[in-house]
Amino acid sequence: MLIVQQILNGIMLGGIYVGVAVAFTLTIGILNFLNFTIPVLFMLSGMIGWSLSFYGLPFGLSEPLGWLPSLGIGIICAILASLVVERFTYRYFKAKHGDATEHAIPLVSSLGFLLIFEYMVLIAHGSDPRGFHTPFGDLDLRFAGLVISIPQILSLVVSLAIVAGLSMLLRRTQLGRALRATAENPDAAVLMGIEVNRIVPVVFVLTGLLCGLAGALFAVNYGEVSPYMGDQVGTKAIAGMVIGGLGSVWGAIAGGLIVGLTETLSIHFFGATSAQITVWGLLLVLLLFRPKGLFGHNAIGKGKF
Amino acid sequence: MLLEVDGLDLRYGATHAVKGVSLNVAEGEIVTVLGANGAGKSSLLKAIAGAVRPGAGTIRFDGKDITGRGAAARVRAGLMLVPEGRQIFVSLTVEENLLIGGYTRSDAEIARDVEAVFDRFPNLAARRGALASVLSGGEQQMLAVGRALLSKPRLMMLDEPSLGLSPILVDQLFGLIGDLNRQGLSILLVEQNTHMALEIAARGYVLELGALVAEGTAAELGADPRLAEAYLGATDDAA
Ligand SMILES: Nc1ncnc2c1ncn2[C@@H]1O[C@H](COP(=O)(O)OP(=O)(O)OP(=O)(O)O)[C@@H](O)[C@H]1O
Ligand SMILES: [Mg+2]
Repeated sequence: MLIVQQILNGIMLGGIYVGVAVAFTLTIGILNFLNFTIPVLFMLSGMIGWSLSFYGLPFGLSEPLGWLPSLGIGIICAILASLVVERFTYRYFKAKHGDATEHAIPLVSSLGFLLIFEYMVLIAHGSDPRGFHTPFGDLDLRFAGLVISIPQILSLVVSLAIVAGLSMLLRRTQLGRALRATAENPDAAVLMGIEVNRIVPVVFVLTGLLCGLAGALFAVNYGEVSPYMGDQVGTKAIAGMVIGGLGSVWGAIAGGLIVGLTETLSIHFFGATSAQITVWGLLLVLLLFRPKGLFGHNAIGKGKF
Repeated sequence: MLLEVDGLDLRYGATHAVKGVSLNVAEGEIVTVLGANGAGKSSLLKAIAGAVRPGAGTIRFDGKDITGRGAAARVRAGLMLVPEGRQIFVSLTVEENLLIGGYTRSDAEIARDVEAVFDRFPNLAARRGALASVLSGGEQQMLAVGRALLSKPRLMMLDEPSLGLSPILVDQLFGLIGDLNRQGLSILLVEQNTHMALEIAARGYVLELGALVAEGTAAELGADPRLAEAYLGATDDAA
């Protein structure tokens, strides 16, 4: 029974990784850009949510806010931060230097944003983990000897629903087709009248939304946030994305869940410090046999969705 | 004049790809641009489509100066390029490629126009839900033309559409271009197949190393020694 419980916990944890892994895969798939600010967007939504629920709006503008509006504003801040990153990494350098700088400069500047945002939060709130309380923080569903927390179930459902919605957007709407066409062949997309400069911010809004939501769900689920919460989740989400196959949305979902499972089971069998070794070991072994990942396509940066 | 290009000049770094080229296309006309490999034909069309920015010159479409407008505005105005090598989206289905062709439109008739393209090309209709990567070369060219039609163009520019097609398919393709023209579409056709191009076009221009070296009616150009020179002068494997 204990093992079944661990499997359930693993899937729930994976549900958090899924949102972040899909955000990674989206920017890689469409823009061919490994966006290092993604983990910090996750952290921003959690920490800003905590700060609003603890202090209220800045400059004493309000009493502490309720948990739901706090997290809502946290998610919006993650989206706005993502747009700032778009403006000053991707668009700025693209416009200034063209395609010659395609990979390295946006990547390095997004790493810069990661550290800047992280240290801004550290200066504001210090490095201690903070408790985040919701009314149903310890509501459990007990079933055949298993304990399932309600927030965990809810967050798994919410993240899968968001990703399913994203998948629909990509397949069924003209915007989604334009995103996929731009991912495959930006030059031809321009000839169709697709304004790539307007499409790119859409990717960053989706990124901010996915990460912000994952951060909010993390806060509700684990009742705790910290300025470093993005680091762990970020590396696990990258592992999940690679395991699932770069640029594949469904791959990122599967990969996120697999990483969550592997982590919990590894902790169960080999102790708390073993998780990173097991997860990355699994990834390396998988890449040995299947370099494309589980659902990946052959050519990186070409036609993924 | 539907399209008037005046003194168009384009450089890529040290390469002077288009040197002060002027040309025009009247409403309902088929005009061809000929020239050897590297003569600057594709660069010229891309500049007219707004995919690359010329260093100098003006482009007028339907009487309006569009030199400063982006590619999307030009597609909306009715100017569409079928690019060299077709450039269809192989990760999208056949039907999605057509829908993307209508990206700049917001009217409700797109679905009907998609069906009209499928009526025109039954081969495509049979594969509407399949990824465009499964199409043969000839079918891909049909899809590229169909996709362009979905934007409701007034002037269609085609960049070497016959490249890589068998003689039968080339005949079909030129038949299609003639049909489209008779239905009111103006055409600017870049070709290395000079013979076929001069047969279908009313007028033509000859580019050599980025500069215009001859222009005239199809009959005049066919007899013009500068046409042969333009090909012999530049590279080995031309036409
Ligand atoms: N993106 C680019 N960057 C640098 N140089 C380029 C670029 N595109 C084309 N050129 C150069 O510009 C010149 C004209 O090229 P262009 O493709 O316009 O010729 P073309 O007449 O279409 O040739 P082809 O018949 O081979 O298609 C060539 O010397 C080419 O090498
Ligand atoms: Mg060319």
